[in-house]
Amino acid sequence: MPMTDEQLLNAYRIMERSILVEQAILRFIEDGDSRVLLHSGRGQEAIGTGACAALRDDDMLFYSHRGVTQLLAKGISLDGLLGDFLGRVGGATGGLGAGIVHAVDAAKGLMGSSGTLGGGFVMSAGAALGAQRLGDDRVSLHIFGEGSANRGTFHESANAAALWKLPMIWLCENNGYSVSVPHREATSVEDVADRALAYGIPSRIVDGQDVEAVHEAVAEAVERARGGGGPTLIEAKTLRIRGHYEGDPQTYRSKDEIAAARLRDPQKLAAERLIARGRTEADLADIRAEEQRLVEAASAKAMASPKPDAQRLYEGLLAPRSVA
Amino acid sequence: MTSSDAPRILSYRAALREALIEELQRDSKVFVMGQDVGPFGGVFGVTKGLTEMFGKNRVFDTPISENLIVGGGVGAALAGARPVVELQYADFALIAMDEILNKAAKWRYMHGGGQAVPLVIRAPEGILGGLGPEHSQSLAQYFWGAFGLKVAMPATPADAKGMLKAAIRDDDPVLFLENKSLYNKRGPVPADDYLTPLGVAATPRKGKDVTIVTWSRMVSVSLQAAELLAAEGIEAEVIDPRGVRPLDLDAIGSSLERTGRLVVVHEGPVTGGIAGELVAQLVETRFGALKAAPVRVAGLDAYVPQNIELEPLLTPDAQTVAEAVRRSFARQPA
Repeated sequence: MPMTDEQLLNAYRIMERSILVEQAILRFIEDGDSRVLLHSGRGQEAIGTGACAALRDDDMLFYSHRGVTQLLAKGISLDGLLGDFLGRVGGATGGLGAGIVHAVDAAKGLMGSSGTLGGGFVMSAGAALGAQRLGDDRVSLHIFGEGSANRGTFHESANAAALWKLPMIWLCENNGYSVSVPHREATSVEDVADRALAYGIPSRIVDGQDVEAVHEAVAEAVERARGGGGPTLIEAKTLRIRGHYEGDPQTYRSKDEIAAARLRDPQKLAAERLIARGRTEADLADIRAEEQRLVEAASAKAMASPKPDAQRLYEGLLAPRSVA
Repeated sequence: MTSSDAPRILSYRAALREALIEELQRDSKVFVMGQDVGPFGGVFGVTKGLTEMFGKNRVFDTPISENLIVGGGVGAALAGARPVVELQYADFALIAMDEILNKAAKWRYMHGGGQAVPLVIRAPEGILGGLGPEHSQSLAQYFWGAFGLKVAMPATPADAKGMLKAAIRDDDPVLFLENKSLYNKRGPVPADDYLTPLGVAATPRKGKDVTIVTWSRMVSVSLQAAELLAAEGIEAEVIDPRGVRPLDLDAIGSSLERTGRLVVVHEGPVTGGIAGELVAQLVETRFGALKAAPVRVAGLDAYVPQNIELEPLLTPDAQTVAEAVRRSFARQPA
């Protein structure tokens, strides 16, 4: 099922927001306001955007380390996200400064992320298990890079999720590289999706630059999961435009390859679809201008929040109250 | 809260089982999973009959997948359940260290306090007799630096029940280490619905001459040592912090202020063990109270042998504890 005009417009908007947020973060870094390690998702925006459009607010997302788009698509507050990159108490983690991987919002189903790659498989399967045992119809979505699918946690989770028919959707962002190591030199099969066969679960391979293709595949998996049909593995073939992290010299890739990735910019593809559906360039320019204002306002609000003091280090280690 | 009812005599195993039954009955969010915990009832029999009572949806077997057992428990807790997961042996916690130390313990903190992990990880630890180097370890020391985790180690059937119930109701993750040699030990267990707070020390024996700090299986060993010492005119106070995190330093410190002598006893190895760090903290904060150098009495720096004749030589007994206390009297400060 293709996305509605409204969904596609919103997807375009989220991608713009994500691009602007990453640009703002890069400016913070350049200006010395932020000293974070950014794993840019530039080029991979269609995946989180398309996937989250297929979820309810209470569905649970365990996002990846390249997760700015994923967080925004699931509804994280802009100033919360930006505030964390700035290390301010108003930030999503209250000034710990790890917003890219550790921003949460329970009301939006934003569950957090595993800093150790591959740690999210067991966590997300557990969340699906929790929903199943509590008897509600939430589903759990985990977005991860293809490199982390080589962890043993993938096997343990896929086996259990298939066995227990957990409401679980695994969405692999295959951008071809585990940091610097090409996919073919780290993984025994060309398609991560092939591994679904071993667990007897359905799988799909989709064009990760095509937001509608991602949305359609995830929507189908969500329907199956919510209906008790168990997990699905989706592999989105995608292209990383920037380095693994900011500052990565990318000596392992040719300039032509990076230029080719830019030609398949998912936001441009979404724009073409919208134009074909009768939207004008002016409509899209309005969206971009609105997002620009939003991100600027959120940046200013985030920057106005104070920096934490040493006491912050001890806050939140344990629950504020003990039952016993 | 303690009961005024006439105490019943139950085994440590039965007390744990009763705690699980009561909490499963009380709160539909509680579920139990682990290897062989279903119809088989657990390798040590703690979950016997629970699947029959509560159904496969609440008490169920898992594959041999320790990362999933713990990490899945964390995820389920985040989703709003209150899982009690069992690692068949505490040694297997080493397989799931990422899930215990990086996920269960840190999730609340690293996500800015926006998430809670109400998870209990039950794990049978310690020497039982011939189980060998990978099924016999006492390894609480690996978790003392897990600042977002609680580590409970009950010594008696009454504590086993009250602490497990408290752990299940706690909003933080709790590593619940059950000493295998205690499963058959019997003792009084109140009949009413009581909780034993985590991190609040018990004083199973009062005394004025020396403070013995110990937990889990070593509590009864230390109490036997205290009997030997009483015959020699030394009155030992035995403090059981009921686990090591949080650690009731107030109770330990105030005992030390009264006695002036400190002996710390645990089953796990002495090197890198908790006794060393505990002694360091008390020397730093209570040096003025000390009449003698503190003494550590702990497992030897070797692995648990399969040979059941060698095995008991690895860990302290009443004689070695009593001897350590005598040494603390011999070592006067200069």
